Amino acid sequence: MALEGDLEYGEYLASECTTCHQVDGSANGIPSITGWETEPFVTALHAYKAKHRDNEVMQIIANRMSDEEIAALAAHFKTLEN
Amino acid sequence: MTINRRHFLGTSAAAAAALAAPMVKADGHGKPRVVVVGGGAGGATAARYIAKDSKGEIDVTLIEPSRMYYTCFFSNLYLGGFKEIEDIGHSYGTLASGGVNVVHDWAIGVDRDAKTVTLAGGATVAYDKLILSPGIDFVEGAVEGWDLSAQNAMPHAYKAGSQSELLKAQLMAMPEGGTFAMVAPPNPYRCPPGPYERVSMVAHFLKNNNPTAKIIVADPKPKFSKMALFQEGWANNYEGMIDWIGSDFGGDNVSVDANAMTVTIDGEVTNVDVCNVIPAMKAGRIAELAGVTDGNWAPVNAIDMSTKADPDVYVLGDSSQQGDMPKSGFSANSQAKVCANAVRGALTGSRVFPAKFANTCWSLIDTNNGVKVGATYEATDEKIAKVDGFISATGESADVRKATYEESEGWYTGITTDMFG
Ligand SMILES: Cc1cc2nc3c(=O)[nH]c(=O)nc-3n(C[C@H](O)[C@H](O)[C@H](O)COP(=O)(O)OP(=O)(O)OC[C@H]3O[C@@H](n4cnc5c(N)ncnc54)[C@H](O)[C@@H]3O)c2cc1C
Ligand code: HEC
Repeated sequence: MALEGDLEYGEYLASECTTCHQVDGSANGIPSITGWETEPFVTALHAYKAKHRDNEVMQIIANRMSDEEIAALAAHFKTLEN
Repeated sequence: MTINRRHFLGTSAAAAAALAAPMVKADGHGKPRVVVVGGGAGGATAARYIAKDSKGEIDVTLIEPSRMYYTCFFSNLYLGGFKEIEDIGHSYGTLASGGVNVVHDWAIGVDRDAKTVTLAGGATVAYDKLILSPGIDFVEGAVEGWDLSAQNAMPHAYKAGSQSELLKAQLMAMPEGGTFAMVAPPNPYRCPPGPYERVSMVAHFLKNNNPTAKIIVADPKPKFSKMALFQEGWANNYEGMIDWIGSDFGGDNVSVDANAMTVTIDGEVTNVDVCNVIPAMKAGRIAELAGVTDGNWAPVNAIDMSTKADPDVYVLGDSSQQGDMPKSGFSANSQAKVCANAVRGALTGSRVFPAKFANTCWSLIDTNNGVKVGATYEATDEKIAKVDGFISATGESADVRKATYEESEGWYTGITTDMFG
């Protein structure tokens, strides 16, 4: 888990997430993903990718993410206030 | 606010005079200019992202005639009584304070040699990169007996706002036991499940307010998006109310008479109380005027949404012919972000990342009974190609359907914030 996240790439990739997840950290019907620590964020995305968590929307999104991309996203969302 | 940024104020005489002056091209002088035509799902997102991410390095002008954008998404929920009209209206104030020059006017012409856009108010706006996201227009003569002059008697409500309010008023005024007819569109059209979500929402309204009323749907297609899910939902929730007539049963042979309020399906004339005509669609007219369409739509390169006709003109959303993505607000928003990243890179040398696209379309069948279909996509040399997808299953539990509906509520807040800030 020592991958250094590329913040600029993370910001670009995150634009896909903010169609559903609120940038300001609020949540109605879709959970907040801002301000998370790296570890649980990365673990959650890997769990969707491995289909250990069963939301289909998140599964297909995580499915095409490389480890570098997940690290970049984690780095970006960590910088956002909750 | 920077002093040399142009502020276009459609109505002021001073602004009009300033606009009449010849434009300086950006090559070497001043900031690069992006002009976006259409402030909907594609255009508002593209304008917002380019302005936000370029941090003032690019001048972004958005041309949009309406001061309020009513989302087509959730407009069916308005018909069903789940939303108010105010819930689906959005203004452009936050975009403007985020650095986008918002001009409320129509684009009426594009000169691709001079790289200018002409507005109905007479102004000319110069661009280095032009992004068109004008949504759809209707194919003339698509439904026999219907043209735009009949849209008050027989609304389409396929551009939201006053058309949605009109259809709702007609629905509410239906006599007891009356008939609501829909003429569904042929492929391809915006929001593949849209007409069928609408049928569900109209049925929901009638079940509660006018339970002996009937719905007939004349459809030029033999099957439609999420068909098994809708038909299961109609049978379970609205038994005996909805008569769907597909092309195998003459649904493709239809004409209407807006004066007599009749619909003729395969030779059989029916008197109706409300008639929702959704004609065949094509790219918004400005795409055609710009000369970037081929047939009804504008072919684009999947990598950045630039048109096949002109590398400096991009087409997003419903108007584009891009490959596998459905014409949806989600798709238009997704394409806009890929395009924004590429346009910014081309103009300022910022990093350009791989194109990734996604879509999910939720539909509401009845209270807390939501279903969804979604997919991810990538850019290939020929098109935007589907990578992976899913669809809700028939027979799902009430809990799953409720969670799906709640997701759609979250998404609505997410996408409208992503578009308008
Ligand atoms: C009933 C219904 C339900 C839907 N439900 C969903 C849903 O649940 N989820 C989903 O993702 N999608 C849904 N959609 C589809 C979605 O609304 C469209 O696919 C989406 O709006 C397309 O975005 P766009 O940018 O291409 O066009 P639009 O959002 O239509 O924006 C086009 C804008 O361009 C402006 N314009 C046009 N011509 C000019 C001109 N010459 N000059 C200046 N401005 C111009 C228009 O005023 C308009 O504001 C639904 C559609 C309908 C009809
Ligand atoms: C189409 C809408 C949508 C998009 C786009 C989307 N998500 Fe999600 N996301 C959801 C939903 C719905 C859930 C809740 C899923 C569940 O119940 O397991 C979720 C859950 C999550 C969770 C777990 C949250 C928790 O509290 O456990 C993470 C982390 C997450 N998403 C990250 C992302 C990232 C990163 C992206 C962009 C690459 C993204 N999502 C894009 C809809 C979306």
